[in-house]
Amino acid sequence: MAFLEVHNLTKTFGGLKANDDISFTMEKGELIGLIGPNGAGKTTLFNCISGLHPVTSGRIIFDGKDITSLKSYEVARLGLARTFQVYVASGDLTVEENVMVGCFMRTRSPSQARARAYEILKDLNLHDLSDSMVSELTVAAQKRVTMATALGSDPKLLLLDEVAAGLNPNEIEEIMGTIRHVHEGLGATVMLIEHVMELVMKVSHRVIVLDSGGKIAEGDPENIANNPQVIKAYLGERYVREHGGEI
Amino acid sequence: MEEIKNALDFSDFPRLDLIVVGLIAVFLLVFPVFPHSSFAMATMIQFLMFSIYGMGWNTIGGYGGQVDLGKAQYVGIGAFTTAVMLIRWDIPFWFSMPIGVCFAVTWSFIIGYPLFRLKGHYFAIATIATSLVLKDLFEVWDLVGAARGLEISPIKYIPPDFLRLIFREDIYYYYVILGFFFVGILYVNWFRKSRLGFQLRSIKDNEDMARSLGINVHLAKVKTYAIATAFVSVVGSFHACYIKNIEPADTMSLDISILIALMAMLGGAGSLWGPVIGAGILIPLKSYLKDWLGAQAGLVGIDLIIYAGIIMLVSAVEPKGIWGIVEKVRRRKRS
Ligand SMILES: Nc1ncnc2c1ncn2[C@@H]1O[C@H](COP(=O)(O)OP(=O)(O)OP(=O)(O)O)[C@@H](O)[C@H]1O
Ligand SMILES: [Mg+2]
Repeated sequence: MAFLEVHNLTKTFGGLKANDDISFTMEKGELIGLIGPNGAGKTTLFNCISGLHPVTSGRIIFDGKDITSLKSYEVARLGLARTFQVYVASGDLTVEENVMVGCFMRTRSPSQARARAYEILKDLNLHDLSDSMVSELTVAAQKRVTMATALGSDPKLLLLDEVAAGLNPNEIEEIMGTIRHVHEGLGATVMLIEHVMELVMKVSHRVIVLDSGGKIAEGDPENIANNPQVIKAYLGERYVREHGGEI
Repeated sequence: MEEIKNALDFSDFPRLDLIVVGLIAVFLLVFPVFPHSSFAMATMIQFLMFSIYGMGWNTIGGYGGQVDLGKAQYVGIGAFTTAVMLIRWDIPFWFSMPIGVCFAVTWSFIIGYPLFRLKGHYFAIATIATSLVLKDLFEVWDLVGAARGLEISPIKYIPPDFLRLIFREDIYYYYVILGFFFVGILYVNWFRKSRLGFQLRSIKDNEDMARSLGINVHLAKVKTYAIATAFVSVVGSFHACYIKNIEPADTMSLDISILIALMAMLGGAGSLWGPVIGAGILIPLKSYLKDWLGAQAGLVGIDLIIYAGIIMLVSAVEPKGIWGIVEKVRRRKRS
């Protein structure tokens, strides 16, 4: 049995099929990239897996348990953490406090939560920002804070939704380092949604491609980059007809 | 153990704050010793009572961001439990008070469970509605004296009666409520650093995020609402013994609910000192206005206009109230 199994997952919003019969599996320790054009259904897939949205049909098995109908806080407690593509901080919490909220999932003691938060922030090179308000940080720093917060709960599986979006090349380099560290250093299994291709292609073991709600391809990064269907999804039929070409 | 240490630990506040807090604490302790008018004494007792109401409100309303405009129903439950038990069965305050808390918390579960499915303004409006419904029920319920309410007649007891909380001099009431006030501060100081406190703040920040961090949002709200309720109910019980003559129309009025929320918001929702600051400003203001308005016929209702003005000012200038301004200035100075 695989670590994460998604069987025929469908999610509809009214008449719109945001996820259409998606199936895939994921092994422990893997790092999978999830790509696809805007509106392909990537975030929706994360929302379904993490229990934020009830699925319309299909089954999700995580670490041997059927989590299809669990609430998101129950899924989280089983060791599945995620970040959000759009995160609006109301400005009430400092970086350290934010990470502590994650740590409180595993402990009741404030001093233990604080100590764990400190470790994580230090590990991600964020400890200088401990006392800053999350809302005052740059987008890049906020994204790393949301990762740190998710890590606070000691997840077995981490879903990252566009942590590199809107970052400059230096920041992308930095966050790539962070992702690698989380994956290799901390031993988390990671699935990441990303539009920044050089990042996905560099770090992923395997890439899954969605388009209009359906899974159109799956394979190692090399194969995916040369897959005509994927290129078509990204660049449109006409471009492919005229240029042949690669991404 | 860690719990007690946390309740007593104020070290995250700057030295200046601690000095000010210390001075205020000393002032509160020695105030009755100095010559004072009975009006000043009554105002101080009101200030302490409303500070505690505000502390309770602040747990769910401030840290949790769930604006509650129905706290008066819990004042009523506490007050009438204590009054009924004392008058009918001679059950003293220290027994009826925890029983009142049990009733209030039970009621808070009954209405909190469905109401917390509602969001934002709907929640606030629903709390107003349940509070008014309960008041109307009390007004036709003979056990609690219906609309005429209940009167605790002090003649039957020999003051000072510490068990029943029947005193002739206000100074006794003052020290009892001051004790509750200090306990309240310590409790909220613990709460804000506890797991539940962090969960509430995370919920206020972003509910989906909170859920993804393993927080049962609905349960955390219901639990905290019960805590807020307990604070209010305790002071409600005290209110019955202190005022001695309680009617649903006063004790459970919408004014009380709004004043509680307003004070906490003015002082600073979601901060430890906010409700105390708010009560320290609004209660004297209210007392003097009432005194002054008593002499000026035709100006009744002007206090409501003033409150409305304050609400608008707070939400426009600094949603986190006076304490929010203090913190902002400090942040600016540091950076
Ligand atoms: N809560 C919702 N209610 C209704 N429709 C939704 C909801 N969430 C997503 N959708 C729709 O589902 C489709 C897929 O959206 P989703 O956010 O999953 O795309 P995405 O692949 O993450 O896109 P992007 O790269 O822009 O983030 C879109 O058409 C979107 O409008
Ligand atoms: Mg998305």
